[in-house]
Order: sequence, then structure tokens, then C-alpha cells
Amino acid sequence: MDILSTGLSRRRFLQASGTAGALGAVGLGGGALTTLREAEAQAATTPGETRITKNICHQCPARCGIDVYTTNGRVHAIYGTADHPISNGKLCPKGPLGTYILYDPDRFKGPMKRTNPNKGRNEDPGFVPISWEEALDTVAERLNTLRDQGESHRFALCYGRGWGASCAGLQGTFGSLYGSPNVAIGHSSMCSDGSIISKKALDGVGGYNAYDYANANMLLMFGVGFLEAFRPYNNNMQVWGYIRGVKVPKTRITAVDIHINTTLAGSDRALMIKPGTDGALALAIAHVILTEGLWERSFVGDFTDGVNRFKTGERVSPSLFEEKWVKGLVDWWNTELKDRTPAWAAEITDLYERDILATAREFGTTRPSIALFERGAHAHSNGVLNGMAIHALNALVGSLYAKGGLMSQMGPSYGPMPVDAKDFMDDYALNGPWKTQPRIDLKGHKDGYLLANNMLQELGPNSLAGNPYKLDTVMFYQTNPIWTAPNGQVWEEALKEVFVIDTSPFPGETAMFADLILPDHTYLERLQDAPTYPFQGWPMTQLRVPAIAPLYDTQYFGDTLIEIGKRIKGPMGDYYKALDNTENVIRHLAKGFATDPGDNGVNDFESWKEKGVWYKKPYIYRFVDGEFYTWDGQDYAILMTEEEVKESLFKTDSGKFELRSGWLESNADWIARKTGRDPRTLMFPHWEEPVHPGGGDLYMVTPKVAMHAEGRGANIPIAIATLQPVLGGRKTAYIEINPQTARARGIANGSRVRLSSDLGSIEGYCKYYEGCRPDTIVFPMEHGHWAMGRWAKDRLPGHCGEITVNQSDRITGQCSYYTTKVSIEAV
Amino acid sequence: MTSVTVTNKEIASKQLGIMLLALIGLLFAGGLAISNLMTAGHAAFNTDNLGLFWGFPIVIYDYFLLTSTGLAMVASMALIFGGEDYRPIIRRALWLALAGLLGGVAVLMMELGHPLRALWAIPFSFAFSSPLYWKVMAVSFYVLSLVILQARMMKPDWQTQDLRINAMVTLALALAVTAIAGVVYGSQSFRPFWASGDIPVAFIFESLLGGLAFIIFFTYLAYAFNPAAVPASVKKLFNDRLTNLLALAIFIHLLFVLARMSSGLYGNAEGLQVWQTLATSRLFFAEIFIGLLLPLVLLVNPRTRIRPWAQILAALLVMNALLIARYEYIIGGQLVPLFKGAWAPPLLNYAPSPTEWLLLLVAIFLSNAVNAFGEMTLRLGREG
Amino acid sequence: MAKWGMVIDLDTCTGCQACTTACAMENNRLPGENWQDVLFYHEGTYPNVKLMWFPRPCMHCENPSCVSVCPTKATYKDPDGGFVLMDYNKCIGCKYCQVACPYGVRFYVDEKAVVQPDIRGVFPSEAGRQWDPPYKGPQDDPSRGIGIQPHGVVSKCTFCYHKVSKAPKGVADLDEDIPELKEYVPACVRVCAPKARFFGDLDQPQSMVNKLIADKRGVRLKDETGNKPQVYYLSGGATASVPSLRSMNDSGQS
Repeated sequence: MDILSTGLSRRRFLQASGTAGALGAVGLGGGALTTLREAEAQAATTPGETRITKNICHQCPARCGIDVYTTNGRVHAIYGTADHPISNGKLCPKGPLGTYILYDPDRFKGPMKRTNPNKGRNEDPGFVPISWEEALDTVAERLNTLRDQGESHRFALCYGRGWGASCAGLQGTFGSLYGSPNVAIGHSSMCSDGSIISKKALDGVGGYNAYDYANANMLLMFGVGFLEAFRPYNNNMQVWGYIRGVKVPKTRITAVDIHINTTLAGSDRALMIKPGTDGALALAIAHVILTEGLWERSFVGDFTDGVNRFKTGERVSPSLFEEKWVKGLVDWWNTELKDRTPAWAAEITDLYERDILATAREFGTTRPSIALFERGAHAHSNGVLNGMAIHALNALVGSLYAKGGLMSQMGPSYGPMPVDAKDFMDDYALNGPWKTQPRIDLKGHKDGYLLANNMLQELGPNSLAGNPYKLDTVMFYQTNPIWTAPNGQVWEEALKEVFVIDTSPFPGETAMFADLILPDHTYLERLQDAPTYPFQGWPMTQLRVPAIAPLYDTQYFGDTLIEIGKRIKGPMGDYYKALDNTENVIRHLAKGFATDPGDNGVNDFESWKEKGVWYKKPYIYRFVDGEFYTWDGQDYAILMTEEEVKESLFKTDSGKFELRSGWLESNADWIARKTGRDPRTLMFPHWEEPVHPGGGDLYMVTPKVAMHAEGRGANIPIAIATLQPVLGGRKTAYIEINPQTARARGIANGSRVRLSSDLGSIEGYCKYYEGCRPDTIVFPMEHGHWAMGRWAKDRLPGHCGEITVNQSDRITGQCSYYTTKVSIEAV
Repeated sequence: MTSVTVTNKEIASKQLGIMLLALIGLLFAGGLAISNLMTAGHAAFNTDNLGLFWGFPIVIYDYFLLTSTGLAMVASMALIFGGEDYRPIIRRALWLALAGLLGGVAVLMMELGHPLRALWAIPFSFAFSSPLYWKVMAVSFYVLSLVILQARMMKPDWQTQDLRINAMVTLALALAVTAIAGVVYGSQSFRPFWASGDIPVAFIFESLLGGLAFIIFFTYLAYAFNPAAVPASVKKLFNDRLTNLLALAIFIHLLFVLARMSSGLYGNAEGLQVWQTLATSRLFFAEIFIGLLLPLVLLVNPRTRIRPWAQILAALLVMNALLIARYEYIIGGQLVPLFKGAWAPPLLNYAPSPTEWLLLLVAIFLSNAVNAFGEMTLRLGREG
Repeated sequence: MAKWGMVIDLDTCTGCQACTTACAMENNRLPGENWQDVLFYHEGTYPNVKLMWFPRPCMHCENPSCVSVCPTKATYKDPDGGFVLMDYNKCIGCKYCQVACPYGVRFYVDEKAVVQPDIRGVFPSEAGRQWDPPYKGPQDDPSRGIGIQPHGVVSKCTFCYHKVSKAPKGVADLDEDIPELKEYVPACVRVCAPKARFFGDLDQPQSMVNKLIADKRGVRLKDETGNKPQVYYLSGGATASVPSLRSMNDSGQS
């Protein structure tokens, strides 16, 4: 019995006994052996004590509070935190995957340095383990040397999913103390800056919106993926269950996208639009709202005599219209809207005129209504115009800051940092030569992207070209640009000549080009703060509490940064010594709660740790019947002055929602020069044909899907198996192709195909899908990794980034991920 | 009779050769199969959890089991109704029934998750609602009755009338095993490709057909396919009786297949769609035209029906046709996925894996080795 | 004694598969072998295409065909709660229950891994089980099919027996939104963000599941098989109710 119970797996048994021996021993198959071997193992066991720690999910930006279940030192379950306002005890399909991420067998086990000087896809980096001491000293030495040489600007720190004040929040200070304009460069232009900046052009705020879906009666979604990827996905679905199953009246939903996904399937009206033409649809809807007199007069204003003069094709005298909270409506009508009929839009968008008209009437008459959009609509050369046209609809129906409308997100009441960085600036930090250097990505530069927030996608190409200069050292936090940047092949070349530091807990394409690996904890091992992403407007911040001690020799990125800072010469080192560590930082942040306790009673570090979240309802601003009010503790009763509105709600020059964007107008010369747009009209939401590079004949759209567990989904077997439910093959993610498109090219259902653009080609298996536009190829952005782990490796279809042209919206800087045209052929 | 004696010696040596060949084959096929199973486990089979749960090994098992019961039916009915004319084939049929069953059960054991557990868990479960429970119980008693009958015929002077009760029990058990094997499938009402009240009857006729084909083929094999060596009594039995019975059995089997096919092709019930594919497949055409109609022609055509080559060929073709039929029935009933959906194709994909083919060889070699051993040691062909 | 039942509202189900992954986490499912699956269908021609989906757990039938075919009584109907469970110690791996289940919700554990490389090889078991992932749940009761499976058996959804069976006696509804009950709710129900799933006692007339079945005309899947699932589906308030069975019992009910 002992021999049999020592765990002889079939394979091991065979190894132990040799094939010939096994034949005799087993006789009639392996089952006989199994029976005896397992007899002992089958008694029920009683588990030990289970401990629950609070954390927040890491697999999308939403920040759902999670309860992490640990028994006998093993994390085995994750459920939504019941009293967390976003998760409310629920989870999206990614939520439970956290255990697999923690125990991912491909994780980095500790700090390492590269021994192979050659970099490339087929070069083994030859990583060897080193101590944290050696790793941090190596970085500090490079940084000190650069600073000594007056070249500190040649150090860049790039980050993707920053979480809070104790990680990404430390980076800006690091940059100003050390002296580099490139610390830190965010990935927002590769995320959804197109949404932020096109809204900024109109309302001056420049942030993602918070939405009051639960009180809305109509949602009009452009390229949003509400039931796949739109944050906060988990809460979106909770809302969906309410507004579609419980609420009276049931909220009407029209969804616009390029293929039938679950959002379109669940909506009342699905509009499969031609990629990049969402703006035309929005303009036609605005046209109908005006011609049919459906606009919200308490927000927009009205004709002085109450007679609607918006008639198709006819100009209107601005003096006849008295604007309330908008600016430039009549100008917009005269320059753009008067000819933007549904019939016109039907031509451009490839939708039916009747559907456009019905959508416009429903949107214009069903209040409160919200028009929301994300990358599907604005990741094009005309993105800012599409975004503005869509966002303008919210103004026409008076949804801004209204009940059932959309708002801006407020920040948490954090306490001050342990010490003030201003007290630790040396002369180099204040007046060093770095001050005159542009950012490597030419963000904010007239030769680059003057109006953008970040231009991470330009960092690799710019450094490679030495324009404006070459980087010496680059450090990455939560970003893998060789994979996520369009045309990442250029990044591979760029990073060959730069000293690369990666801080991911996991292997990835960028990590394979790294000279140093300083692995972070995974999220279930971290103590980390994270203020909410835009949610319902009121402030909220949450805390990750380690469920178990780190499995490996890893270190929280915030502490890695502090430890590097401590090793920089001069007062900067003193600053970081004073910060000490991230727990100290977080404890200081939590002090802010003492005077402003959360609704759940959180008033210090310990109670924050216990509850996992601090929040304070309600949202304090509200638009009611033509005026803005703030919350007085009982009701929205304090009338806001125009100045207060300008300061807090519409941060434009006019303090109004500017349909004629003053911000764009003030940069009209630069915009006209860079885009060729007419300087007289470029400040209005207007139609412009998008530019589709790539040289192919089919649009390629590669959406983020529900199972895209950020940065790791491709190497989680259970996520792989459920990645593409609509067409998926459990082990295969397919390229969606309309049957008529496929047949015309002799491509059989399920066959292997090649997608090509000017940049190269990738392969994958295709599947016929009538729910896909005939002019568009769709597949999930997920696979094609070559260095992410054993399950991700070489999984088809190949990576869309390799055939996506690096083209950005000149104004928003938004990387136009969904605009490249490709060709497809059978392999 | 000198020539016959000499031939018998030759035949005995040839039986030894067959047995050795079969043993070598068994060692090779079984070794390879077990090695595959030891390394890959059940994954060495091409079954899946999408819907194809019972694969080729189950086909092989049922094929050999039903062949066995068919042989037992032939033997026991011959004992009960046939009189002395059938004497030359009875012991051979009974031994072959045992040999075939062994081959089938060996394959089943290699397919089951816990074969040893099955040996005690089934009998003591008293799972009266399960057809498989009854099948296993019936097979157990069936084997016992085969052994007893064979043992009682070890004396050269056995008399048919002494064995009648015994034969009736064997016949009843053979019929029971076969019918229950039919119920296993026929009772699955939500699988219309399988489900039918007459499946047990169809199984019985298929069994009989198999029994007749196998006894003809293996009798010739016992004489190393040398017609000159075949005793006159056997020739007479074959020419006068068995070829006619075989032809009749083919005809009845054809009726069952074609009747099921026509209602299957007309029916709209979920699961019957497989007939559209099946009835146009080359395998099906081979089964019908080469496996059943050609033998029927050979056996009714006056010019060929008494030719030994024709009888051997007809038997061999029928044996193959029955394997195809068994395959089509068991696999076909699972090919239409239980649900449509993104992960399920219109019909599941299935083809036996190399290991599954090896299991067919295991069953064939094991049965042949056992049979040749019987031919050598038990003098199955002896008249007495 | 309770008779646990589930109601799934197809009108609010968003097809997100959180039920699938939560079940995978709670019950250590192998990738691609989902005790709790969501099936997707599409019909129609561009531009008017209907995409639908259908969540499918084990139906825990009142009259389970899998149980009646099992030759060893390894799969059985627990009279207390109405769970259809597996006893791994008795299962011989004949797969007849898989064949006999009209709902396709049984899984032979030794089939080829759907996603390669086989995760079982990455976390091998030293205790005669299929595998030994570090994140496996602490619950383990092979006589009820709970915990990591041994080789050579069929596995299936347990209705999260290890949670539900610990619920306070007599409770009519296991609602995850009631804090003191959440730990007793099946994983798939507990995570369901749009609250498309309800779990409760079918034997208590006042339970929410019975209310929903009555008000919203709950139907059972493939009711013509006579298996009588304890999982009901709501498919829209306006749906004419489909007579699920021809036969009736003495009180005029099917």
C-alpha cells in the first residue's frame, strides 16, 4: 500500500519501471493501478481556518473590491466585497482569475540581470538572479551618472495601469526631484485619451466621465463594449440587470459597433456602423434633434420667440437664439449641422436612414439619456471630431450633471505626504539643463503633439530616431510597449540600444529586452492604494491588503522606486529616506480620513485595511431645471453662480459647454497646419473622412473582450478557454469574417488565413460570422505573445499590433488602433 | 482417410503458427496500447467531453460481445433444434464465443476508468435500474454457462439430448445479454438515432448474423483455408444449411438497417440529422453493397454458394460489415451535439486514435490466440 | 428537507461567463471543461443578426436519467436537498451517465486537456488525484464529488453542495445579497452581476424561486425528456408559456 500511495503518476510509474516492466505489472490497463492507488486518497478532509482579506481586482481599471479567501496559507477563492460600492459582492468573469495570476507558474521569482548583451526575439536574455541590493545599486549608479553628466532627461519611466498615490503617484515627484521630463510618461494615449480630450475640447474638464446609468431612460453607446470591457464592467452588468430587468420604465438602449457583440445583442437596437464614421451618425442625430425641436431648452436655450428655425439646409441668424449653458450652437448649425441629415449620414455610415431617424427621435425624446463612447468611435484620425460630435449630444439633451446623466469624478480626501518634496529640490532639480529638454515623446511640443496628454507610442520610434534625443535608460511599470504599441517592431529596435528595466512580476515581450528585472508583487501580495476610476462621481479610494506574504523574492514597485530614490545623491535621497516606504506613505494618506470619515466609518489606516474602501456619497453637483446646485447635506439646494460652474463643472473660457471649442480655436493655426483642417471650422464637431493606413481593403478591429485580464489574460488557461464565447473554439480564438467576404476570397470557414498590412502579416484561423460587417475583420486583442508564458506562447491569431500602423489623432494623441486596413488571404 | 490425418497434423501446426502469430501480435499491439495508456492515459483515445463519450473501444467491445452471443446462439440453437447435422460446429462455436468475449472484455477493461473496481462495484451495487448492471450480471452467468457447456462436451460421446437444458440456459442468457446490450442504447429516448423499442431485436438478429459468419470463417480457418481438408460432414452442413441461414440473416439485417435508415432520413427529430451524412458516406455504401449485398449474392447464386472461397469471402465481408454497422450505430448516436452553440460543430469530429485501433488488434489477436489454443488443445473440430 | 432549485433569467443575463469562471475557481475546473457553461448561438444574415446565449449548469433533475443508468450507484440523488452528486469511490468510469444526460453536463476527467499545455502536468498530484493546483479549494469530499478528482471518474456540478448544505435549516432563499447567507450561495449565483440567477428551496411555496417561476413563467430545459430539472429559465415576460409535458400527475400537474 505504501508503494502505491507514494504518488506514482502514470508517467512517473513508467519512468520508474520502464515500458516492458509496466506491461507485466499493469496487465489490463492503467485503471487497475488507479483503483488501488487511490483507495487511500478518497476520504473527506476538513479544511483549516479561512481568512478573508480585502483587495481590489487588478484585471481592468475598474477597481472592484474583492474578498480574498486564504486557507492554510493558500489563496483559493475571490469574491466581490459585499459592501464595496462597485462590486457589491459581485464579479465579472475575470474577477475569479486572480488566484491563477498569483500562482502563475511562469512568474519571475526575483530580481535578475541580463547576461546576453544581444537583444532580440530569438535571443535568450540569459537572466541570472541577483540580490535586490545589487539590482537597486545598479539602477542608482546609472541614474547618478546621468545626472552628473547633465543628461538626466535621458532617463524615462513609463507606466501603464497606475493605481494610486503609493505607486504611479510617486513617479511625478521622482521626475521633478531627479530632473527628467520623461518621468513619468503614461500610456493614456494608447488607452482612451481620445475620449478625455475630445470632451475637454467641449466642457474643459478633461477626464473620463462618471455616469448615472441607474436613473437614465436611454443609453446611446458608440463603440463602448458596455457588456464586454467598458469600465467598471462588473458594475455595468449590475446596472444592466437593474435597468433592463427591474427598473420601470425599462431603460432603452441603442448600441453602435462594427460587429454584433453581447452589448449589441442585449440592446433594443443594434447599429453596425462603418468603422470611423460614428461622428457622422452623431451629427445626423443632432440634426434631427434640432430640426424636430427635441433639444433640452433648460440647458441649451431657445429661440427668443420660441419658434424653431432649424430647418434642413437653412442658415439661422445667431441673434435669434438665446443660449443658456452652451456656446456656439447656431454657428455649429450654420457651418456643419444644417446639411447633416439622416440620409446624408446613411451614405457615410452604411446604416439605414430609418434606423438613424428612429435612434435620433428616441434619444431626443427619452430623458434622461446619455450618449457614451470610447475607443471604437475615437481611435481614428478623425477621433476628436467623432468624440466631440457624440459628446455634444449630451449637451443637446441636457444630461451634463443631471440626474440620469453624466458627471466628473471627484478625488479622495487623502492626507499629505510624510514630507513635502519641495523642501528637497536641489539646484539641478530646479534649474538643471533638463529643464530645456522636450519630452522624448514630443508631447506638448509644436513638432509633435501639442495638445495631447501623453504620447507613449512615440517614445520608441523617437528614441530610435534620436529625435529629439536618444534615451539612455528606460524603466517600465505596468506596461509592455513592445506588445501594446502599434508596430511594436520599431520598439524592439529602439530598446536594443537602451538600458531597460522592467518591473512586471511576469515575463513579457518588453521584459525579454530588459537588462534588469525588478519584479513587483502580484496584486494579492501588495499593500497598495487606488482611488477609484470615474464611477458615480462621489469620491472613493480603496486599499489592497496582502492576502499572503509574497511567494517569491519580489518587491512592490512603489518601494522599488523609493529604494532607488534613496540611492540618488543629494537631497533627493533624503526625501526618499524620509518617505521610508510605501506603507508609511499609505498611512499618511489615510490620515486625511480622520477629518473626513467615509460613509462606511473608515477613518484611519486600520479601518481602511479592514473595510478595503473609503467612500463618501453623494456626488455634490446636480443640474436641475436649468440651474446648477450643490448638495447641502439634505438636497441639491445651493444654487451655483456662473463663476462656480466655470470653476468646477465647465472649465472652458466661457464657463459654458462650448459647441464652438474655444480651446481648439485658440490653437487653430497649429491644428490647421498639422491636420489641414479649415481654421474657420475646425473648432466645431464636424465630419471628416478618416484616414485608414495599412494598404489593405478591409478594416481591422481588435476589441478588448470580457476575458481580457489586463496584462495576463493570454497566459491564463481558463481565460484562453472562454476568451471568445461568441465564436470561440475553447482552444482557438478566431478571426471573425463575414461569409460573403470570405467566399469572395476563397476562404473556407475555419481555415487558416493571413492578414497583411504594409507592416507585415500575421496568421490565424477564421470563422464565418454574419454578425461581422463585410468590410471589417474582427478578432480579440489578446494572443500572439511570444514571451509571456507557456500558455500564451505562439497562440493564434498573431498579434494585431504587428500589422497596426502607428497613426495617432493629431489633437488627442490617441493611438488609432482600429483604423488600419488589412488584406486577408487563405494560407 | 490418410490424407485427412496428414492434413490434420499440418493443420495443428498451422494452429500453433496462428497462435504464436497472434501472441506476438498481442504482445506488440497490447504493449504499444498499454504504453500509450500509461503515458497519455485516457487522452490516448479520441473521445471528448463535447459529446463523444463512447468511442471505438466500446464499439469493439460490443462487436466482440455480440459476436460471442451470436456464436452461442448458433451453438445452443443447434443443440436444441439442429440435431446431429450441426455437431461439427457446436464446440467450435462455443469456444469461439468464449474467445471473442475475452477479446472484447479485455478492450473494455482498458477503456474503463476503474476496471478492477467495476468487478466488485457493479455486482454489489444492486443498481436494478441500470441496463449496464443487468448486462454485467447476464454476461457473468453467460460466461459460466458457456464454460459448463463446453466442459460437458469434453467427453467425445456427448449427446445432444443430455445438453438440452444446458443449451437452453445458454441460449436464454445469450439472448438476454444481446437484448440488454440493445436496451443500453435503445432506452436513450432523447437520442432518436439510438432509441427504439426494437433495438434489442435488431441486436439479436445482428448477433445471429455475426455468429453464422464467424463460425463459417473460423471453421475454414481451422482447416487453414484448405477446402480439401474440410470434412464432408462440415461441407454438407455449410452447403445445405449454414449458407442459407447466413443469407437469410443478411437479408433480415438489411431490412433492419434500411428500415432505420428510411425513418432516420425522413425524421426531423434532433439527432437524426446524422443519417443525412451517414447514408451518403462511403463507409455506409461499403457496408451495404460490399459487406451485405455482395455476400448475399454470393450465397444465393447457385454457381457460387457452395464454393468454399465464396463462403469464406461472404463470411469475411459480413464480419467487416457488422463492425462498420456497430461503429456507425454507437458513434452515430453521439455525433449530433446535444446543444448547438459556438463550440459545437454541426456534427462532432471523431476518428479512432492509433491507440484505439491498437485495441481492435488487441481484441483480434487475443481472441485468435485463445481460439487457436482451443483448436490445438481441445480438438474442436473432432466429430465426436 | 429542502429541494434546492435555481432560476436563471435569460432576459437579464449578459453572457459574461462570470458564472463559468467563478465555478472554475470554486471547483477547480479544468480549462474548457465547464461544469457551468454558457452556450452562444447566432442566427440571421448581416446586418440583422440575432446573437443569443444560454447558461447551462447541471439541472439537478428530480428524475435524473444519469442516476438511473449508473451501474454502481456512484451517481446518486441526495434526498436531502435534491443534489445530484458523484461518489468518486464508486465510479468505474464507464461514462454511461454522460451518454444518458440530455444536458451534456458531465465530464470524464481523463480526457485530453482542451487548452495545451495540460495544466494538470504543471501542478501534478502526489496523492493520486488529477492534479494539485496551489489554488485548489480546501473542501474535499470524494463521496460527494467535491474536491480535485481522482483519475478515471466522471465529474459534475454539485450545486456547490459544500456551501449550500451548510445553509441554515429552513431558509427559503439563498440570496447572496443577504450578508449572512452569502457564503452558502453557489458560486455561479453569488457572482452574477446582473442578478440573473436565484437560488432557493422549491419545496417552500413562498420562496423567491417559486415566485419567479410562477410570475415569469419559468420553463425547464428539454422537459420532454421527463428528467424534471430543478433549474428553471425565465425567457421574457411576454413569452407564452410552453406546456412542458403532456403527462400530468393526479393533482393535474406535470
